[in-house]
Amino acid sequence: MAEPIAKDLEQGTVDVDGTTVSYFTAGKKDSDLPPVVLIHGTAGSTENHFSFVFPTLARDQRVVSLDLTDIVGKPEITVDDLERQVAAVVNHLVPTGPISVLGYSLGAVVAASYAAHNPDRVKNLILVAGWIKTDTQQLVRQDVQAALRGDMVAYKKLSLVLAFGVPFVAKRTLDELMTVAPPPAGGPEFIGKLSALNRIVDITDEVSKIKATTLIVGCTYDMMVPRHHSLALFGAIDDARYTEMSSGHAIVWERPSELAMAVRTFLANPGLHPAGTVIPEVQP
Amino acid sequence: MSSANPARVTEVELLAIGAGFTGIGLGIKLTRQGFHDFVILERAGDVGGTWRDNTYPGVACDVPAHLYSFSFKLNPHWSKIQAPGAEIWKYLRDCVTDEGFSDKIRLNTDVTRATWDEDARRWLVETTNGTWSAKFLVTACGHLSDTRMPNIPGLDSFPGDIFHTARWNHDVSLEGKRIALIGTGASAVQVFPELQEIASSVVLFQRSAPYFFIPSGKHQAFTDAQRRLFERYPQAMRDVRAEIFWYSEGNFPPRIQVPKLLEKARKASLDYLEASISDPELRAKLTPNYEIGCKRILGPGRFYATILQENVTLEASALTRVEGSTVYGAEGNGYEVDAIIFATGFDATEPKFASIIHGIDGESLAESWVDGMKATASITTPGFPNLFITNGPNTSLGHNSAVYIIESQIDYIVDTMNYIHSQGVDTFETTPESEAAYVDSVAARAEGSVWLAGGCNNWYVDRRTHRLTVSWPDFAYQFRQENAHFNPAEYTLELSQ
Repeated sequence: MAEPIAKDLEQGTVDVDGTTVSYFTAGKKDSDLPPVVLIHGTAGSTENHFSFVFPTLARDQRVVSLDLTDIVGKPEITVDDLERQVAAVVNHLVPTGPISVLGYSLGAVVAASYAAHNPDRVKNLILVAGWIKTDTQQLVRQDVQAALRGDMVAYKKLSLVLAFGVPFVAKRTLDELMTVAPPPAGGPEFIGKLSALNRIVDITDEVSKIKATTLIVGCTYDMMVPRHHSLALFGAIDDARYTEMSSGHAIVWERPSELAMAVRTFLANPGLHPAGTVIPEVQP
Repeated sequence: MSSANPARVTEVELLAIGAGFTGIGLGIKLTRQGFHDFVILERAGDVGGTWRDNTYPGVACDVPAHLYSFSFKLNPHWSKIQAPGAEIWKYLRDCVTDEGFSDKIRLNTDVTRATWDEDARRWLVETTNGTWSAKFLVTACGHLSDTRMPNIPGLDSFPGDIFHTARWNHDVSLEGKRIALIGTGASAVQVFPELQEIASSVVLFQRSAPYFFIPSGKHQAFTDAQRRLFERYPQAMRDVRAEIFWYSEGNFPPRIQVPKLLEKARKASLDYLEASISDPELRAKLTPNYEIGCKRILGPGRFYATILQENVTLEASALTRVEGSTVYGAEGNGYEVDAIIFATGFDATEPKFASIIHGIDGESLAESWVDGMKATASITTPGFPNLFITNGPNTSLGHNSAVYIIESQIDYIVDTMNYIHSQGVDTFETTPESEAAYVDSVAARAEGSVWLAGGCNNWYVDRRTHRLTVSWPDFAYQFRQENAHFNPAEYTLELSQ
């Protein structure tokens, strides 16, 4: 990266399952808040998905993020594989004590599963545009995207209208839209394996075990992981509260400040709203 | 709007000084709550503050109007995304009449002194139009009310017309005149294209080149259909407002020099300069020599296009002296002109109201603030009981709407009044410890920010102490999170007898 995403950013790697995973950490040293671990989604990376959220949270607390990485030679990547990468980074950087975890999109699936398996570590959990079990709408959407792979222009256009919220798209020209998001990260092979994983997600058993104080963030105009998935998480996780933002799935580029402020406010006082609360969207 | 009898002291529970955005917003909220024991004093002949004072050609607000207005008084009728000044002024006047508190406003009433009377435990407020005794006092004077004029040798002998953009002299025709425009801040870049069109020549004195932001969204004017939609379906207005708010919040991280986002902001602005100005020499003069955001980032408008006009000269130095009708820049270039327009801004670090407000021991607020403005929650300060200071320390935003901050401060006042009434509080005074904790918290956030470390002179930093005292060094949303509610733990409270 040309310029780092945060001041005083530390970078390093850990080896897990024969793969080298990059991590990033920065943030306020004397904070009382537990470190927060960020997990990006499909075709993302720390820089790609969290260049706003990471430095914003780092003002108040330590932030840890990783770049999920392909396991060369393994034809299929599972949620467990990705979870082990998260665990390796967490165990390396924050070996003990409470942590908060934020996952976005497929990263939310990984975060939920990790939280279910590590109830003693994960005190607070934020699931942004996540889901429990892949449904027909997502499969058909993926089928159409895959069918357009041969026509890159059409594929890109479809991806834009799927990723961004309808009102956001409507106010911009195609050229403007093209510049909002950075190019996909992770490489075509890894993205392909993650896309395959997207089709078979089912963490129904895991989510029922989550003990963390949880914030679910749904995106009103999401067409990739529509909001009913976030509502399903709200129903499935015991200590969950729910909020929704007027954004498409690409909230990390479309409304990064609203997301960052909601997360910051939640992490400052996770139990402020009791379990079951629907937190209304901020009307500034 | 009646005047008081100057011979006697009029009692009122809450007295506010200033009928601009803050005073009017407070008036709306109090009136809607059924709290009517208040008066707003206004030194001028009409309400509207900044938007009454600034009538220069081209005056507009560079913050979109659907955000630069009250969330509790949305207006479907804005003609443009960035409303002309006259429309904002009308909006504010309409707020007063619609909400029915015209009778609470005393015009042409300039406060000369406000003193805390420790025996009566009330504020005694002397004005050019009578004396008031108030239990609670609110300064609602605004950041941008006292004009700043540089001290220029020889200016007194200038034979032509001289005025500040916020005190525009509409009796003077500038048609066909040779004009010197001093400054390249927010007012200057708005008036500059208007002057260029009518003047025979304009020389623009630029101490430092401005950065411009790139506007998002392509529609400048609202259509009749859009305005009717806003009227019929107000949520559409709220959606627009929220979009603009969060977009604007997105521009905060560069202010604290988040490396990647700072680079992106700087590059976008310099790319816009490069696309607008092809001459390398001129472009060099228009390239800022400080970090983006250290000074206000300006709305682009027609600034670069105007610079390129034949009757325009860019003098890339400060105005240093005037001899007869010739104005000289720091580099020695002289220009003979018929009029000098000062677009040199306002005094924000040392507000004038601070010198007329005297607290418990008679000390003025200005004396108490000799090291720069400071307060608890940006609104109260020790030694000054029952006083709310709005638009004071750390309340200005470079990246979002000032009205959002004003609303937070109004909420704080209303919340405090509700607490006082429900708990039987007679006086509240913030503790020095609370103020120090707040000041430290703000200072920690300001450290390394572009205002302090961006390599420019700006009006956000107190020049005496190099503390950031005007700008709020965090997201606007965070201001409201922290500073919209009264926290009794930060106060010494005396109960009513």
